[in-house]
Amino acid sequence: MDAAPVSCLPTNPNRMSKAKKVIDEAKEIQNPELDLSDKGVSTFEEIPGLFNMVNITRLTLSHNKIRHIPPGLANLVNLEILNLFNNHIEEIPTSLSSMPKLRILNIGMNRLGSLPRGFGAFPVLEVLDLTYNNLYEDSLPGNFFMLETLRALYLGDNDFETISPEIGKLKNLQILVLRENDLIELPKEIGELSRLRELHIQANRLTLLPPELGNLDLTGNKAVLRMDFNPWVAPIDDQLQLGVSHVMDYLRSETYKFLYNRSVTSRGSPPPKLNDKSKKISRLRQQS
Amino acid sequence: MSLSNMFCSRCGDGFEPHEKIVNSNGELWHTQCFVCAQCFRTFPDGTFYEFEGRKYCEHDFHVLFAPCCGKCGEFVIGRVIKAMNANWHPQCFRCESCNKELAELGFVRHQGQALCHDCRASARASGANKHTCHKCHGLIDDRPLRFRGEVYHPYHFNCSSCGVELNSDAREVKSRPGYTANDLNELYCLRCHDKMGIPICGACRRPIEERVVTALGKHWHVEHFVCAKCEKPFLGHRHYEKKGLAYCETHYHQLFGNLCFICNQVIAGDVFTALNKAWCVHHFACSVCDQKMTQKTKFYELDLKPVCKKCYEKFPSEFKRRLRKAHEYTPKKSPVS
Repeated sequence: MDAAPVSCLPTNPNRMSKAKKVIDEAKEIQNPELDLSDKGVSTFEEIPGLFNMVNITRLTLSHNKIRHIPPGLANLVNLEILNLFNNHIEEIPTSLSSMPKLRILNIGMNRLGSLPRGFGAFPVLEVLDLTYNNLYEDSLPGNFFMLETLRALYLGDNDFETISPEIGKLKNLQILVLRENDLIELPKEIGELSRLRELHIQANRLTLLPPELGNLDLTGNKAVLRMDFNPWVAPIDDQLQLGVSHVMDYLRSETYKFLYNRSVTSRGSPPPKLNDKSKKISRLRQQS
Repeated sequence: MSLSNMFCSRCGDGFEPHEKIVNSNGELWHTQCFVCAQCFRTFPDGTFYEFEGRKYCEHDFHVLFAPCCGKCGEFVIGRVIKAMNANWHPQCFRCESCNKELAELGFVRHQGQALCHDCRASARASGANKHTCHKCHGLIDDRPLRFRGEVYHPYHFNCSSCGVELNSDAREVKSRPGYTANDLNELYCLRCHDKMGIPICGACRRPIEERVVTALGKHWHVEHFVCAKCEKPFLGHRHYEKKGLAYCETHYHQLFGNLCFICNQVIAGDVFTALNKAWCVHHFACSVCDQKMTQKTKFYELDLKPVCKKCYEKFPSEFKRRLRKAHEYTPKKSPVS
């Protein structure tokens, strides 16, 4: 650890000692799970020697002020869980996608406007949390939906208006959260996600659902479908008043298929955006 | 040859001049002495049969010495076929399957039947699954009784307990538990067998004489106690019960979802269940700061993930306002769920 680079930047000595204390403790007891949540960290230089701790399996850095992720973080080849929730991250390095054991990546509540090219190359990623960022359909790189090992995808609180039909390739997806985006429609390929048991699409601009959604079992006692706060067409809204199982039954009916096909061909302009996102902290940089 | 040194072969007296003399192969008889050795009557049409120096009329010769045909029951005169422990007219000894005469073709014995070579070959091919009784060697048309490793007509045996003649439902039971030797086994009728208290396998309904597995309120052969999903026997490995069915660890968790949300592994010990998910003891933690939580820790919910109070309070106020608004609008539950 003496060999670790020492920052010459003027940093608050108190903060530095906080993070350093945790690091030293972890090294001492050989704890492979490193908790650096809410330690006032703004750059990785405040955590000297971190990149040499190749044995760690979990790194929690939530509630800090990190803006920049150095590509060297990918040196932690044994890392399985990386939690960067609530920081000031605007970009993530491509190198993260090559981390061989990373299973859970949480970059929620940051300032991401895009994901790097090749992001979808994680070999074993199971849970990806991108909640509360500034992402939209063009933010996702071409290989995003190659994440075949993904079982949970959290995209709530972003700016998506559409979802790529390629979502159907995420065959292992069990949880999909699209809460509070600006979605106008869902692709019919969602109906191919046969293992899906949680779908959150509340507070969007959806009026119709693809009838293919009826292929999924989202009404069992192990399943969740959240779809409130959308400008649904009247028949869907009526069924929703009775409960989501009624909606699912209705989607499977011939009546609805007819209504859907007719409505899709004669669709007018989408409903207006309702969610006021100007106060989101992910926007702070654009405002300032 | 003069009359004075000619004598009757039967009575030994001489012959009167001009008396009729019967000459047969150089032996001489008075006409009244040339009779059947059995009935003392003259031979009809002069035909006689000779056996061990005595002469018999046709009738008596047949009665005394001629073989009876195993098929038609008539005497066999002339060529006799001796086969299958009986005698036969050549035209009566035929293949029991195709009725061809066998005298010239030759025959094969097959399960107590005489068959030509062709029929025997096809009988062996088609009748391969029919059993031959180990006792009487006859074919067993109905279900056989298995006993000490052989098959029998059930009616050769009686129940060891009540003595009733057995049918194929009879059960073979070790008379002395713990012994494996076949020759200690005994047969019981189904009624007596059921009264003996031998456990019956819940899967195959047959008695269990080796190791007994007791689970789900039933007894099972070790190899018949299997996972309801993959049907592999547990063979002593841990099983999981749900709604009267047993499952292996993998399929129980696959079907009933006790995989930890974080490690995606089967939860061996205590399970935390909340928010439509399960966690192992090690991984039940705040989804934001990864601090461990207990059953008693109060937490908030964000997209069905747990958030501890400390982290929730760090959320921006506009976000908290939105979460509160969504929470106050409690979605209607459907009547079925």
